[in-house]
Amino acid sequence: MAGNLGTQAVASGSAVRVNKHKPDWRGWKFMWPFAVVFVLVFIIPIFYAIYISFFEKRMVGGTVFVGIDNYIRLFGDDQFWASCGRVALFTVVQVPIMLFLSAVMALCIDSMKLHGAKFFRISTFLPYGVPAVVSTMIWGFMYGSKYGLVGSLNDLLGTNIDVLSPDVLLASIGNIVTWEFVGYNMLIFYSSLSTIPHSLYEAASIDGASEWQIVKSIKIPELKGSLAITVIFSIIGSFQLFNEPNILQNMVPGNAITTYYTPNMYAYNLSFSGNQSNYAAAMAIVMAVITMAIAYAVQLNSMKEQMK
Amino acid sequence: MRKSSFGLKVLAAGTAAMTVLAMAACGGDDKPAQSADGELSGELSVWGWGNGMKELAEAFEEANPGVTVEYAAQSNASDAAMKLTNAIAAGKGAPDVCMLEDAMVSQFAVQEGIIELDQFGAQDYADDFVAGPWGKLQVNGKAYGMPLDSAPEVLYYNKAVFDKAGVTEAPTTWDEYYEAAKKIRELGEDYYITNNAGFQPFTAQAWQAGGHMWTVDGENLTIDMTKSEGMQRYIDFTQKLIDEDLINVRINAWSDDWNRSLNDGTLASLTIGAWMATNLKSSAPEQSGNWRVAPLPKWTDGGENGSEDGGSSFTITAQAKDTTLAWAFVEFATHGEGAQVLTDEGGQFPSLKSILNSDEFINADDEYFGDQKINQVLVEAANQDITQFQYLPYTQYATTIYPDYTGPAYMGKVRLEDALQDYGEALAEYGEQQGYTVTLK
Amino acid sequence: MTSATNHRLAMQELKAQEKAARKAERERQRRVARDEAAERRRAAKSGFANVANPRRSTLMTILCSIFAIYCLFPFVYLLINATKSQADFTSTFGLWFGGEFNLWDNIVTVFTYQDGIFGRWFLNTILYVVVGAGGATLLAIMGGYALAKFRFPGRKAVFAVIIGSISVPGTALAVPQFLLFAQLGLTNTPWSMIIPSLISPFGLYLMWIFSEQAVPTELLEAARVDGAGEFRTFFQVSLPLLAPGIVTTSLFTIVATWNNYFLPLIMLKDADWYPLTIGLNQWKDQANTAGGTAIQNLVITGSLITIIPLVIAFLLLQKYWQSGLAAGAVKE
Repeated sequence: MAGNLGTQAVASGSAVRVNKHKPDWRGWKFMWPFAVVFVLVFIIPIFYAIYISFFEKRMVGGTVFVGIDNYIRLFGDDQFWASCGRVALFTVVQVPIMLFLSAVMALCIDSMKLHGAKFFRISTFLPYGVPAVVSTMIWGFMYGSKYGLVGSLNDLLGTNIDVLSPDVLLASIGNIVTWEFVGYNMLIFYSSLSTIPHSLYEAASIDGASEWQIVKSIKIPELKGSLAITVIFSIIGSFQLFNEPNILQNMVPGNAITTYYTPNMYAYNLSFSGNQSNYAAAMAIVMAVITMAIAYAVQLNSMKEQMK
Repeated sequence: MRKSSFGLKVLAAGTAAMTVLAMAACGGDDKPAQSADGELSGELSVWGWGNGMKELAEAFEEANPGVTVEYAAQSNASDAAMKLTNAIAAGKGAPDVCMLEDAMVSQFAVQEGIIELDQFGAQDYADDFVAGPWGKLQVNGKAYGMPLDSAPEVLYYNKAVFDKAGVTEAPTTWDEYYEAAKKIRELGEDYYITNNAGFQPFTAQAWQAGGHMWTVDGENLTIDMTKSEGMQRYIDFTQKLIDEDLINVRINAWSDDWNRSLNDGTLASLTIGAWMATNLKSSAPEQSGNWRVAPLPKWTDGGENGSEDGGSSFTITAQAKDTTLAWAFVEFATHGEGAQVLTDEGGQFPSLKSILNSDEFINADDEYFGDQKINQVLVEAANQDITQFQYLPYTQYATTIYPDYTGPAYMGKVRLEDALQDYGEALAEYGEQQGYTVTLK
Repeated sequence: MTSATNHRLAMQELKAQEKAARKAERERQRRVARDEAAERRRAAKSGFANVANPRRSTLMTILCSIFAIYCLFPFVYLLINATKSQADFTSTFGLWFGGEFNLWDNIVTVFTYQDGIFGRWFLNTILYVVVGAGGATLLAIMGGYALAKFRFPGRKAVFAVIIGSISVPGTALAVPQFLLFAQLGLTNTPWSMIIPSLISPFGLYLMWIFSEQAVPTELLEAARVDGAGEFRTFFQVSLPLLAPGIVTTSLFTIVATWNNYFLPLIMLKDADWYPLTIGLNQWKDQANTAGGTAIQNLVITGSLITIIPLVIAFLLLQKYWQSGLAAGAVKE
């Protein structure tokens, strides 16, 4: 299955070792197809983006070399930093909640204490199969404070709840993202849990360990390994938040979702409405550096060790 | 690149059938049109959106048996503009003929993405179109697009709701409109005379008030969002509506909630382009028989009430393979038989005088509008002598960021005047980045 | 004493012995049963130890049910609204059925609207999934295997480079990607949808981890000693061992391709090559323009039809996750 995501430190010793002084190129026989496509889809465009970030295309005067002007402008761009702050807040709140729910669901399903565990596994995972366009649309309909489900609740209870007001909008978006990805992360956690040999539980219970102790001292340490990868992918995903706010934009009253709501939306609008792909490229590079720094600080280090 | 193309081949190995399909898709017929006996032939690619385009393409093929029209439907105006921008940047991939919103034409003309049409004799047709749409397609005195539909701004209103509120006559001035707004608001919680409109109604109404937000003179731009008398008039009036809770600020134009509130009658009127008739029928079916149309209210009694909102045109791209063929199509669609096809099949509101002023068109009555002869009102609006309307050479950007600034004003967080001033500053800064000389007032 | 008597005595003795043996056996069985009962009680107490007979918790099931409702609720909404006509959709309560049951009409209209282009989008999507997700899985298997089983130059950099690259915001990278694809003449062809789908960083990671544990290096050495080439070893020895991991990786690549949205939105101009997501988005947007017609009933029904194949795939593949899991567990 998805593999023993946590306890990989052991495996490295068994890999093929030939002569230490002579590089062993055989691996590339298998690696190159991925590498070639990756270079085509990511590496070349990234270098091209770096290149164009030193230019500026003007409607009057054409394309000119501007050195690091785009980067200087970026550091003084309040809208950019506002959008970064927003996704940072989003990441700090949404990612832990989502991963916590995923881990709890994985532990519950793995505990074999549920009636119909299969049903819970499939129902948790099902939202992952819904395209962002569709899931945002559905949640958007439900959020409507007049015609949506929230509106019906308000009528029923006489309340005046508005989940699309600017103060709670980010949380409402967080709910959509959580709904979409909780199953995906659950499956990763669940897979790593199911690689724990049952003999370990038997041994533990013979030693008189309680259920909670087994969870605490066997299962949770096992989850920590897969946590590294889920955290990294979740951080990258959050910093690139785009689909949900972009599709929700027109459903939200008072234009609370601005064109610079997230860095990715800002870059998109600059590129495709503002004819400023050079500035957007500079923004992409800076965002990538920020994202990597955060991902690295949080988890990459520990993961690298496991990868050895 | 040798290695990578080899890699691609290997990847393709299992999918030979795919390759064939792909080849068929992109390996178009590059032969130029042969004008042997004056007949057109060859392949023409066209992008557009909306109803009636497929029928138009078929009609053109029928009239010119040697021609194949490859029509690619785009989602909407901004989608078409975005993809054309990309294709221009790439230097290939643009269609021969591209439909554009009128507001976008000057932007693409400046970037030399589309070609001027006077070389084919477009100016000869100037008098055959109504002045509004025609004027918007002239850049530095030359035509860069041929008008498809026209979009005079009018007042669509729900007569049933107006009657219920005790407003028996459609408002003819903005003061009357304000009084009507108050009466409709009194109907209850959700009833409003209109909603938070977008960029185009803003330009149309502010322009009608006499506010010239921007003036384009070659590479010199003047931006004046708040200082002129006309803009002050617009701002004061709109601010009053916002302050007194007479505009529904919770519903954006074109959202599903917008359709629903048009459909249940709580959104009682719209000041919008003439083309809205078609949209109303599909988005507010339950109000069939209730909607009516009236001329746009005026600022002063006897003042001007002409203004434009939207409208689209056909342009020929700089990448067009055979401009003769492309022009033949554009001419057919806008000035020839095609114009009638689009009116009949697509429900477009035409800009060609011969169709607009035909008895058949003017006297058509419409059940949806309670058998009102709506075209009489619309045509009258279209024929107004509209002061030459100007768009910024970067309208797409101006449209996109407009809600960022005005949104908070509609929500009551900032004054509309301050919001528009900030908006003007952002536009001026952008203009300077693009190499224009900008005067900000 | 006759031999007959002797014989009888021997028989009695034998019977007595037999009886004793049976008794002993019964006792042994009782003891085993007691032990087992005790084991079951102990297992029930610990909860995890006995796979065959765990103690179910009603409270936990109820709590998880609440979460399941949260997960499934939007599907119910979609299902209900797919039964409505456009008029009912704009005028009736979202969580209950409209005046008329329009599901079949809607389905028929979805497949016939605009000359049946939805069917074309459906086939396109299947094509992209077969070639794109299939290719992505293959590339991930080979790459993951290489990373796990070979120490080649550049190996350590691979993962850092991938993480670094996918950290670049996709929307800003779209312009360079578009320009590159345009230069290669690939825009507006199925390749512009397929080639980006071929990269699945998460799939590569999964196969890396899985290869490390599922393919014993000794087995590879043995095959090499027998004189098998690297590719033969890969196909004949390793691939069968990787099967459970492959199923999981395909699951993720299929979902990613099926739901791919942003890049094809920019790359494809011709509706004939759209996948379902972009086609639906076009339908959704078509009302937002002058002269457009609102067809939310078709968008909703189309969305439902779009997710059904994935739901079916999940249910079918569930069996294989199970076997994959078992394989993982056995390995210890």
